[in-house]
Amino acid sequence: MIPPASGGQEGTALRLRERSFGPEQRLVMAIVNRTPDSFYDRGATWDEAAAMERVHTVVGEGADIVDIGGVPAAPGAEVTVAEEIRRTVPFVAAVRAAYPDLVISVDAYRHQSAGELCAAGADLINDTWGGWDERLPEVAASCGAGLVCSHAGGLPPRTRPFRVEYGDVMADVLERTLALADRAVARGVDPSRVLIDPAHDFGKNTWHSLEVTRRLGEMVATGWPVLVSVSHKDFIGETLNAGREERLTGTLATSAVCAWLGARVFRAHQVTQTRQVLDMVSAIRGDRPPARAVRGLA
Amino acid sequence: MIAAAAICPPAPLLARELTGLDPVIPELRQACAAAVERLVRAGPEVIAVVGSGHRTSTWPADGRLNLAAFAPALGIRAALDPGPSPPLPLGLGARLLDEGGYRGPRVLRSVSHDAPAAACLRLGADLSCLGDRVGLLVMADGSACRSLRAPGYLDSRAAAFDAALERAGRGGDLGPLRAMDQGLARELLATARSGWQVLAGAMPGRAPATEILYADDPFGVFYLVAWLAGSA
Repeated sequence: MIPPASGGQEGTALRLRERSFGPEQRLVMAIVNRTPDSFYDRGATWDEAAAMERVHTVVGEGADIVDIGGVPAAPGAEVTVAEEIRRTVPFVAAVRAAYPDLVISVDAYRHQSAGELCAAGADLINDTWGGWDERLPEVAASCGAGLVCSHAGGLPPRTRPFRVEYGDVMADVLERTLALADRAVARGVDPSRVLIDPAHDFGKNTWHSLEVTRRLGEMVATGWPVLVSVSHKDFIGETLNAGREERLTGTLATSAVCAWLGARVFRAHQVTQTRQVLDMVSAIRGDRPPARAVRGLA
Repeated sequence: MIAAAAICPPAPLLARELTGLDPVIPELRQACAAAVERLVRAGPEVIAVVGSGHRTSTWPADGRLNLAAFAPALGIRAALDPGPSPPLPLGLGARLLDEGGYRGPRVLRSVSHDAPAAACLRLGADLSCLGDRVGLLVMADGSACRSLRAPGYLDSRAAAFDAALERAGRGGDLGPLRAMDQGLARELLATARSGWQVLAGAMPGRAPATEILYADDPFGVFYLVAWLAGSA
């Protein structure tokens, strides 16, 4: 196991916007896509009114963070920076206007769009592509935003893994994400606003994603807050031989294991179910009391 | 001589932490707090906390409720008090005194579930002689068989059993408690039977004044919160 990073301290607070979240808190990050073709929702919130309705819904369901993205992860038609900005910046501004206190994350990997999004009110840059654009930390630092440092195994954005191999996938995840976190802090990002993410499926086959799940505790032990994004992903589909509409159970099971191992932010499509899983795991861990306990106590 | 007595149920859910995020039954806690406040206001020189337990014993006066026994995740006791904890009724009673701001002398006495009536009555008489003005906090409740969802399921005898307790508390005549049916009490999960009989031994005459602050069975267990004036 790689030694803990110098920048993180176990159990420190995560700061997002004006709020501070302790290590015992588990946060739901609700996915809101401004794309016509994302793998799970397939354009359900491509229409801006539908996207705003989705925000109202997830906030009502108890989402702690919304994650707004305009570029699908999968390969496909090019989405230029200008198009990404057109899809997402006015929408982020509208969400910010509607919810002044809501933590807004943006699923963006290019510094030009990330900068515009932060200016429009985003608090966190969720860079799924492993720091491919080296200028992202500057943007986060200058805006006072946070940064998610993920592991994509060195793949360029919007590419699929092809015969990827690792001597030790978790060692590679730790090496790359910790280097990104240290780079972010060195370039001025507030260390209490930095997260690391193993990025399931990104640059990984199913075996690799299962391995990083099993060994997630090694990421947690570095002290950096760990974000996981597993919702309906292919490694769950392959593991359970489940189609895209049949992966919720696997998603929730994986979320429970990650929560048990100490992950703190959970990027999810289903907020209510994820919230229940996290509350249940928090109660089992002893971090949260039951909602109401009477059995055997009368 | 008994200056005053308070009766509160030894239900774990009196401890606010144990019910989780939901206070569940704040009115019961308020009633207990009010009863203890009146007890303290009577100006006792010592308060004896009495409750049923596995054995008859005197416990250290600084003994406190072992919350961890009911909710290991709360894990509070180990850090504060590594010694043996008093039985639940005494721990809850001590907590009520703490919450009521009582800092005077206290005695924690448990009485065995199986103690015969005579022993209970004698213990009550002994406690009444602890001083000229003794306060008594009796941690006792009724049956646990009052509904289909009750801990002991529904038993048709429970209502009459509990009515006798309420009548005694309301009227201040504890004489009938001297003859409580030990076997029936056991069958109705009325584990506080011995505590009631200690109270009867401590207050042999009719209490000059009483007040019932709570009488209900929200979970199929009969809870009575009462205050009784003594003759001291």
